[in-house]
Amino acid sequence: MTGARWGDAATYALLGMLALFFAVPFAWLLSLALRTPAEVYRGAARFIPAEPTLANFGAILSDPAFLVYLWNGLKLSASGAALAVVLAIPAAYACSRFDFRGKMAVLLGLLAVQMISPLVLLVPLYRWMSALDLLNRDLSVIAVYGALGMPLAVWLLKVAFDAIPIELEEAASIDGASRVQTLARITLPLARSGIASAFILAMVMNWSQFLIPFILLERDADWPISVAIFNFAGSISASTTQLLAAACLIAVLPAVAVFVLLQRMIVSALISGAVKG
Amino acid sequence: MTARPDRGPGAGFAQPVPWLAPAVLVLAAFYAVPVLDVARLALSDATMVRPASGFSTEALRGVLSDPALPEVLGTTLIFVGVNVVALQVVGLVIALTIVRGEGRELPGMAAFRTLVLAAWVVPGIANGLIWRMLFDEAPYGTLNSLLGYAGLGPVAWLSDPQMALVSAVIANVWQGTAFSMIVFYAARRGIDPVLYEVAALDAAGPWRVFRSITLPLLRRAIAVNTVLVSVQTLNTFDSILALTGGGPGRATEVLSLFTFNTVFYNLDLAGGSVLAVLLFVLGLGMTLAVLAAGGRNPS
Repeated sequence: MTGARWGDAATYALLGMLALFFAVPFAWLLSLALRTPAEVYRGAARFIPAEPTLANFGAILSDPAFLVYLWNGLKLSASGAALAVVLAIPAAYACSRFDFRGKMAVLLGLLAVQMISPLVLLVPLYRWMSALDLLNRDLSVIAVYGALGMPLAVWLLKVAFDAIPIELEEAASIDGASRVQTLARITLPLARSGIASAFILAMVMNWSQFLIPFILLERDADWPISVAIFNFAGSISASTTQLLAAACLIAVLPAVAVFVLLQRMIVSALISGAVKG
Repeated sequence: MTARPDRGPGAGFAQPVPWLAPAVLVLAAFYAVPVLDVARLALSDATMVRPASGFSTEALRGVLSDPALPEVLGTTLIFVGVNVVALQVVGLVIALTIVRGEGRELPGMAAFRTLVLAAWVVPGIANGLIWRMLFDEAPYGTLNSLLGYAGLGPVAWLSDPQMALVSAVIANVWQGTAFSMIVFYAARRGIDPVLYEVAALDAAGPWRVFRSITLPLLRRAIAVNTVLVSVQTLNTFDSILALTGGGPGRATEVLSLFTFNTVFYNLDLAGGSVLAVLLFVLGLGMTLAVLAAGGRNPS
């Protein structure tokens, strides 16, 4: 029994060290964001600020431009994720329920295209969007988000559909429902947690996207938060580090919060996808 | 698209084409055709402001003779190579430790996993900005002021060329480890527990169990994950852009960042397309390796 006890102590020692590595950046970011400019210069001595202040968050959140960036980020991420899921549903259903030649090729192809850097795709897409006069329109970013998010969504939804007993669909078809009706009335409602996982995962990825909105949207007022903080960082000096920290924290928080709250659902979807894939 | 859906789930006779059409169209329009178009642009004289006027290998020759290219490729090789090892070692250690902790019903395992995952969802740009604050070389910078307490430092985290690359790897490991952790966690949980029960009856030590059971049975997951992580790292540039901007000099300018700068700052479309093709070919090579390793497994 003592051996196992020592093992437990070693487990905690190891995870404790790693936890320090993973927690320090978050903790430091919060610490900086709560400091007055004078305390920023005190370094680690004021890890816990002597005079904590919310003024930095106040300054950021009272800037109307910043609220627009947050709204743009939310709007683009959610629309792009919704498009990805809608595009993925028919293919995921076919791959789950039909037997056809080339199914493996479709599924592997969907995996393979995720290996292509968005940078490679964006060079021609930028030119096309420009030719179609779609530059500086949300539509162009949403379309690219939809296309980039679709492959993973197909895989996650296929796994979700696989888990639904086919007998339920057969019962509906005996009652004369077409396949589309069966999908809409039986399968999709039963797969809602899988659909939600795919949507949220795509949304979190879109929230992190920098390259696509940075290239396709040139106007300041159209930018999502990820592009805006990069631009903001370029205008920052040592005396305004605490403002950048507050802005970063506000940019990071929505994604982390959603993910932490829903991680049980998302991680189990990812793990079941990883096991089957 | 005009084919009517058949009635009822009569699996074998279903017509998959209309169902697959949206996905296949997206794959064609947003992946296949752009890749072909990049290859075409690479063999042209186009710039961002001027369309291609004809076939030319000038851009190709220009990029290949660019003295910066060997340096960029060397940096990329180091960045990807070190990250692939570091991400997987840390990810494997965490996954196995969490599984052990869960087996012993120790509290705190889920909280730790959540912490690692939280770093994963931090946007790449924010990751670069956060670590730039941590690596701040002023006396009040996070790491240097901590080192100051221990009587060490200061370290030139971002201004020394070699240290800057180390710093970029550290920031990437912080963010990227969660992916390997999930893959290895899933693979480790997939191993039949009976094997471990037998090993316990034989009084095998933890190292022996790891060498004889865990590692051999994780070999396929490690092979697949190696390739996935390599490609992800190869394509990473937003965190480096925010952390160092590729500097000092070109010390942290990896291939994807170099491509980005060539196209969108130098507006050299043909040259950037050559680099994009190079990026694609490197990624493709690694992807074919993953398909060769994973394709045998029916989904």
